[in-house]
Amino acid sequence: MATIFEVHTAHPDAQYAAQAAQAVFDLVDRLERELSRFLTNSDVARINGLAAGASTRVTPTTLECLVIARHLYDLTGGAFDVSIGTGLPLLELDPDGLVVRAREGGVRIDLGGIGKGYAVDLAAELLEEWDLGASLVHGGFSSVLVLEPPPALEGWALTLSDPAAPARLLARLSARQAALSASGLRKGDHIRDPRTGEAVRGRRAAWTLVPRPETAKADRAPREGPRMAAAAVADALTTAFMLLGLEEIESICAASPGLEAWVLPEAGADGSADLMHFAAPVEP
Amino acid sequence: MEGATFSRSAMIAITVMRVLVGWHFMYEGIAKLTSSSWSAAGYLRQARGPAAGFFRWLAAQPNLLAYADQITMWGLTIVGALLILGLFTRLSALAGIGFLVLFYAANPPFVGYFYSLPSEGSYLIVNKQLVELGALLVIMVTGSGKYAGLDRIVHALITRKPAPAVVSPAR
Amino acid sequence: MAGEEDKNKVMPPIAAGGPRKLDRRDVLKGLSTVPALGLFGYAWQQQRQYDQATLQATAAPAAAGDVQELNIALIGAGAQGQVLTDAMLRIPGLRFRAVCDVWTEYNLRRVVNILRRFKHEPNAYEDYREMLDKEKELDAVVIATPDFWHAPHTVECLKAGKHVYCEKEMSNTLEGARSMVAAARETGKLLQIGHQRRSNPRYLHCYEKLLNEAKLLGRIVTINGQWNRAVAADLGAPDRYAIPEERLKQYGFKNMHQFRNWRWYKGLGGGPIVDLGSHQIDIYTWFLGTNPSAVMASGGLLYYDPATHEWYDTVMVVYDYQTPQGPVKAYYQTQTTNGSQGYFENFMGDQGTLLISESELNYAGKIYRDPNAPAWDEWIQKGYISAPKLQELQSQEEKSGAIADVRESVSPDEHTVPVVLRDPYHQPHLQNFFDAVRGKAKLNCPPEVGYESAVSVLKVNEAIDAKSILAFKPEDFHI
Repeated sequence: MATIFEVHTAHPDAQYAAQAAQAVFDLVDRLERELSRFLTNSDVARINGLAAGASTRVTPTTLECLVIARHLYDLTGGAFDVSIGTGLPLLELDPDGLVVRAREGGVRIDLGGIGKGYAVDLAAELLEEWDLGASLVHGGFSSVLVLEPPPALEGWALTLSDPAAPARLLARLSARQAALSASGLRKGDHIRDPRTGEAVRGRRAAWTLVPRPETAKADRAPREGPRMAAAAVADALTTAFMLLGLEEIESICAASPGLEAWVLPEAGADGSADLMHFAAPVEP
Repeated sequence: MEGATFSRSAMIAITVMRVLVGWHFMYEGIAKLTSSSWSAAGYLRQARGPAAGFFRWLAAQPNLLAYADQITMWGLTIVGALLILGLFTRLSALAGIGFLVLFYAANPPFVGYFYSLPSEGSYLIVNKQLVELGALLVIMVTGSGKYAGLDRIVHALITRKPAPAVVSPAR
Repeated sequence: MAGEEDKNKVMPPIAAGGPRKLDRRDVLKGLSTVPALGLFGYAWQQQRQYDQATLQATAAPAAAGDVQELNIALIGAGAQGQVLTDAMLRIPGLRFRAVCDVWTEYNLRRVVNILRRFKHEPNAYEDYREMLDKEKELDAVVIATPDFWHAPHTVECLKAGKHVYCEKEMSNTLEGARSMVAAARETGKLLQIGHQRRSNPRYLHCYEKLLNEAKLLGRIVTINGQWNRAVAADLGAPDRYAIPEERLKQYGFKNMHQFRNWRWYKGLGGGPIVDLGSHQIDIYTWFLGTNPSAVMASGGLLYYDPATHEWYDTVMVVYDYQTPQGPVKAYYQTQTTNGSQGYFENFMGDQGTLLISESELNYAGKIYRDPNAPAWDEWIQKGYISAPKLQELQSQEEKSGAIADVRESVSPDEHTVPVVLRDPYHQPHLQNFFDAVRGKAKLNCPPEVGYESAVSVLKVNEAIDAKSILAFKPEDFHI
């Protein structure tokens, strides 16, 4: 994924922690082999080569990643689209047979917008298997997932800063059992709206915080679905929130208790831009 | 246009241009006809610019899309063959221009379209499709087929009046 | 347009002609562009032939239609076993009946769960003997256990009447490897050794088409290759899933650390030269068509903790080969402290160079023509290699009028090998094995070949200890 993955964890035995981190990095390497667009024998490369009516088998993880991507495509009305406008709904996913079938040719997917988060989700589950419950794992600093905080702390301290002026601190958070994802534009960057093909204007950055579902994992077998894919969801929503109207963001947040979003608009005439915050109304 | 005169070398140059453009059209058509999986859908779905909405809508209509594919494949092939032969030159040049207008409109290299299809050159507003369109304009207005092409034979046959009473002596 | 007499004359207005008749000039000019259509037809025909040749040269074997379903089992559900499982899940016609692993708490459970999710109903076993006793229906067993278990597992499976796919290295000892060859011969069952590059379509294309048929490299004189790996922490295990000590002992491991890092221990594995080098040294031998005649090597444990690492973390080897075309020197290195340049094999002949690797990213098959070698146009036309990458035009001479512009030597034309692997690395080799079980293919790596490879590679560790050149006798490679 050509990015930095880091694991922060607290455990009395440094070597044990390093071995767990190594297991995480091996896992990320494996996912890269399946999800990279650039390897000709990756699952994604094979999907992108499908002619109309053809199908290919993929690994369980690839299929799961695609299922999540498809779900978020529907949720965001196509604003999050791993096929970048080439027709994600034309791919039929058969989770039982591990088969991806293309109804038409020409669909091209790039899981870059969700793969990092998905890898972080799997990494977190791996760390829990290793009983490293007090951990933070991130991919490229843009997909962060925190488990329990280090001993004696209430949460992991996280900050949001202006991508155009990294020294400008916008918000401080303290988080636990949640994924926080960021998307932003530096000068000269562009994001294209998959629905219209137009370059996006008016947004400088967006962040999304997605809580991990309660860990009801009594005797859950190692790495068995369904995935608690908080970071993958956060990645996808953040991308969508760079494009969606403020009302749409508000309605998605209102419908999902625990979900929080921050949007930094393009600077106004006076050069200032205020961070906007969205969250479901707190129930009394 | 009618009545303008061109030097012989100019007419030869235009004829060469006509054959080249025709060749390109014909191969574009034949390559699509012989490819098992070609469809305009991919190109249409990636449409940009003012007309993008129409093209994407078209891509989403399976029935219309099938027609569009057939028309494109056969149209390009036939237009190409006619241009090479110089048969119905004006009509085929006009049809070729029609195709190029559509192709151009689906992906115009306008200012600010950063994410246009990857292309091998650098274009601002004018791209190779527009240049080819210009070439077809010249071919159309000069009616090059009547100089060197089957149109010349057709024209001669159609406009031949009943034979004059006096048969000219054989040369 | 011969026979024209209106040279340089201004044309009369086109289409303004009144009644006139069709004359000879009209016919000639009217038909003057028809030959262009003929030319088009010819060019198109050529293009189609080229496309077809490329397609044939690069075509994957046609997928079989209805296939006989095979009942299979996996022994060894660790990292490699999971890679093989992922590949096998994509091969039609396989039914997993059993999975066996001593790490029942973790790996066994995980693989069984994955398989159940995909409609297989495998029974889970800790002990492979119990599995062989109870699972009478099995057609084939895939073995991905530590090297020192390969021989016992393979021999017992063969004797129980199963066909076997066994991961490389065939065995950590030559005695073990010999017993596997003998068991395969006695039982008449198939044994495929997991040198998966031997079924990789790109390697097969290089071997069959580029080297044997087209002989693009001329005479191969030197080879170099490597597998460099970055520093990595030792493998560990989640505390709560640790294997009880008693069971570890029962299966030949001192403790959990040794169980996870068996590759580094003498008597269990062979170290990086065997884990990594054996894949690539096998290719040296395969492509040269002969076994080495001698080996010299230097190696040592330069970086890692000797308490937990018995084998060498750094090894450099030179093999001698005597081929019918003449002698060859082949260098190989593996080190585990810096991953720069990754892994590749580079074959250098007097007419060209073939740089190839299993990895798609860096060296997905490049072939360079020596500037003095005969042209390769024929092979480009046949679709064996791509057209060369464009080089900067040699325009200096022309501009300056000098006879030669003195500078770096002309770089050779770079072509790519057009065959691409679309499936996971191990899938074609597994497919070859299952096709052979169904009687539809010949094994690409039968035990005799795996044995030859083991003889070449295991000798390296011996040569490091001996600090001298060790010779191979031809009979060393035969059983």
